Amino acid sequence: MKKKLLAVLLAGTMTVSMFSACGSSSSSSSTSSSSSSESASSSESSSSEEASTESVGAGETITIWVADAVTSLTQTMAEEFMAENGYEYTIVVESVGEGDAASNMITDVEGGADIYGFAQDQLARLVSAGAVQQLTGTGYDTTIEEENGAGSVAAATFGSTLYAFPMSADNGYFLYYDSSVVTDPTSLEQIVADCEAAGKNFYFEINSGWYQVAFFFGTGCTLTYETNDDGTFASCDIDYASDAGLVALKEIIELESSSAFQNGSSLSSATNVGAIVDGTWDSDAAKELFGDNYAAAALPSFTGSDGETYQLSSFSGYKLLGVKPQTDAAKLKACLELAQYLTSEECQLERFNAVGWGPSNLSAQEDEAVQADVALSALAEQSNYSIGQGQYPDDYWTLATALGDDIISGNITPDTSDDDLMATLEDFEAKCISYAQ
Amino acid sequence: MKKVAAFFQAIGANIREIGVTFKEGDWKTKVSFIIFGFGPLLRKYYLRGIAFLALELLYIWYMVAFGASYLAKFGTLGTVETHMDPTTFVTVYGDNSFLILLWGLLSILFTILLIALWRMNISENRREELAAKAGKEVPTVRQDLHQLIDSKFNYTLLSLPTLGIFLFMILPIIFMICVAFTNYNFSHQAPSKLFTWVGLSNFLSLFSFGGDGFGATFAKVLGWTIVWAFFATFLNYFLGVAVAILINMKGIKFKKLWRTILVMTIAIPQFISLLYVSKLFAADGLVNSYLLKWGVISQALPFWTNPTWAKVTIIVLNCWVGIPYQMLISTGILMNIPEDLYESARIDGANAFQMFRKITLPYMLFVTGPYLLTSFTGNLNNFNIIYLLSGGGPTTMSMSGGAGTTDLLITWLYKMTVNDTNYCMAAVIGIMVFVVTAVISLAVYGMLPSVRDEEGFQ
Repeated sequence: MKKKLLAVLLAGTMTVSMFSACGSSSSSSSTSSSSSSESASSSESSSSEEASTESVGAGETITIWVADAVTSLTQTMAEEFMAENGYEYTIVVESVGEGDAASNMITDVEGGADIYGFAQDQLARLVSAGAVQQLTGTGYDTTIEEENGAGSVAAATFGSTLYAFPMSADNGYFLYYDSSVVTDPTSLEQIVADCEAAGKNFYFEINSGWYQVAFFFGTGCTLTYETNDDGTFASCDIDYASDAGLVALKEIIELESSSAFQNGSSLSSATNVGAIVDGTWDSDAAKELFGDNYAAAALPSFTGSDGETYQLSSFSGYKLLGVKPQTDAAKLKACLELAQYLTSEECQLERFNAVGWGPSNLSAQEDEAVQADVALSALAEQSNYSIGQGQYPDDYWTLATALGDDIISGNITPDTSDDDLMATLEDFEAKCISYAQ
Repeated sequence: MKKVAAFFQAIGANIREIGVTFKEGDWKTKVSFIIFGFGPLLRKYYLRGIAFLALELLYIWYMVAFGASYLAKFGTLGTVETHMDPTTFVTVYGDNSFLILLWGLLSILFTILLIALWRMNISENRREELAAKAGKEVPTVRQDLHQLIDSKFNYTLLSLPTLGIFLFMILPIIFMICVAFTNYNFSHQAPSKLFTWVGLSNFLSLFSFGGDGFGATFAKVLGWTIVWAFFATFLNYFLGVAVAILINMKGIKFKKLWRTILVMTIAIPQFISLLYVSKLFAADGLVNSYLLKWGVISQALPFWTNPTWAKVTIIVLNCWVGIPYQMLISTGILMNIPEDLYESARIDGANAFQMFRKITLPYMLFVTGPYLLTSFTGNLNNFNIIYLLSGGGPTTMSMSGGAGTTDLLITWLYKMTVNDTNYCMAAVIGIMVFVVTAVISLAVYGMLPSVRDEEGFQ
């Protein structure tokens, strides 16, 4: 039964997505009629003002996918923009997390959102599926490059082409800790010892390719990919199978062997937390959890197996806003303008004030309130050691999880010989290189 | 072999009959070979004639307006790629391989149906000519229609379910089988990119060992799938029977209370209790936290993080879900075993174990044999338990394709579809799941006591 059920489900989703793709024009008109009453107030005022000029987009819908936290904010911003610029598109904002946006877009490009926010590690999938509009040459690219930090522009670039509008520059991680437990947040050994002594947990998601690089990049390893314009990977620059890589791997193994260690990076599902390596999105949860003892700092340094001291590195990543390729020139223009507005200084600051997203816009970063934020300043401190997250193939994340799981499950232990560890690293390196072809 | 021979004989007989119809038929019949229903219409079988003609016209309309353009591209699955106008930046969608495959497939199936219709049309002509020769009366339209709720009522009733099964079962299954022979994956994603036929290369990569091949991973996943299905089925079965016997024993008090307590676990939706239990046994979950706090252990027990621990934990936790159901089924059957069998056994001096082995177990196996088989095949594809408890993890670098050490074929398939958008390999695994399930079911089915000896225990 289950087999049939799944087959039907798989096929069903495919056929449904197909039908929805076929009938996208009719479905969009029906949604616009249903939601037109909501936006009637805003569009009425604009239509009366702009009655003389021609109105664009009446009866059509622009769908926007953003994270749950900013759904209503985005709805307000987009509707204001539509009214001010004389567009009559109906705005439908749906809550789709930045992590899911790419999967949902790829499953059904034609039925997906017109504008969507996504985490930068998904750019490769989106480009190779043709689900994101290129911006190079449209004129929007120069504005983006002028107004945003170089790292965020690089994050939105694949091959030599710019694809997305940087929305925030806070996709990095650092240390949140309970200041009554952790005495010295600058030393990994001390943090672990303090947590062990207090019977608290230290969370570090070592089976995620995103957090794992803190160790490897910290000891000086590199792992980057060169990208082609068509969404494929040209070559891989990696030196994990080296003495530095060995030191990093051994440090991960040593951390894992502590009784205080827990694998994870989500405060909402963590228990008995002494310290956690996490990002700005959990700052409210951390404030609530730690109360008066709430503190944040850059990642600590550690003494490696070779006796030297290394500072943990990290990825600094970005949230981006992409526009779906459009078949209608007028709608494309409206979508691009709207996406540009939603990532402007004004909107980035508004989002920072409402939900604490750190801006990627250079002038917004100068804002006093932004500079004063505890979590964001820890992130800024960490950014001295962080490496801008480039483009990585999907398989890399799976492989990194497998490496982390091998350590957690005891396939690799502190007793594993250096030769075996080196063999693991060589295997890892060979697989990483094989993804770029 | 006999069936194959019979099949070809039937085809031969059909061709002969078509030839005879053409040779002996009048001009109306001969025209009917091209214009469906021509003969019946002229012979005043209006309803049948119109139905045949309408279906033929419908087919022609479908093919001309729609199907032929897709069918023509079926061999390549499209050649024009989606591209963007470099000056206006407007996207122009090209061929959609997905739709070409789907509609092309539908066109082929419609063509097969048309051939069947053509054959029906010919035998209808033959029947009418023979009826005319025998001097039978032509039935009126009214009589024809009346048949549909009378002697041909089965056709009327079954037409809608058949159509539904065709659209929602047969067509998707054939479609998925076709996908297994294409390169429909993340870098060939319709509608922006084209995918095409690649023959057997997906199957070859599933069975290629070494390098990037899926062979070793497939073998491991398949091995665990079978081990899991075996333990999940038989452990639940015997423990369930044991609990039922225990509660059924004379001298046990509050029988209804015990049964109710066990049935309570069914009342809570499975996925809720599974998610809850999965969290309970996590490294930072309740079980580990308390054991650490009480000083029973110094290091968290790796329930989900160590492959062997995870496998055992899953099998044991599955008993929680399975035993109550098995207990309910067994309770009913145990109450049905004739008491005189036990009485005579007791008089002959049999002990409790002997009675269980010689009376209870054979009787249980006879009645629940088919149920055991279906639950075994169900467990081969038991997506819920694995996905909700361990999510297939922990993963390891020694397995490719994103598979984890506790992944069943079905959860691996799910990961490939959803996480990796590797539809072609997922389709290949889907076919393998079918093969494994079919082979095991067919092999075991013949060995079931209730199939071999239907008369036993009556």
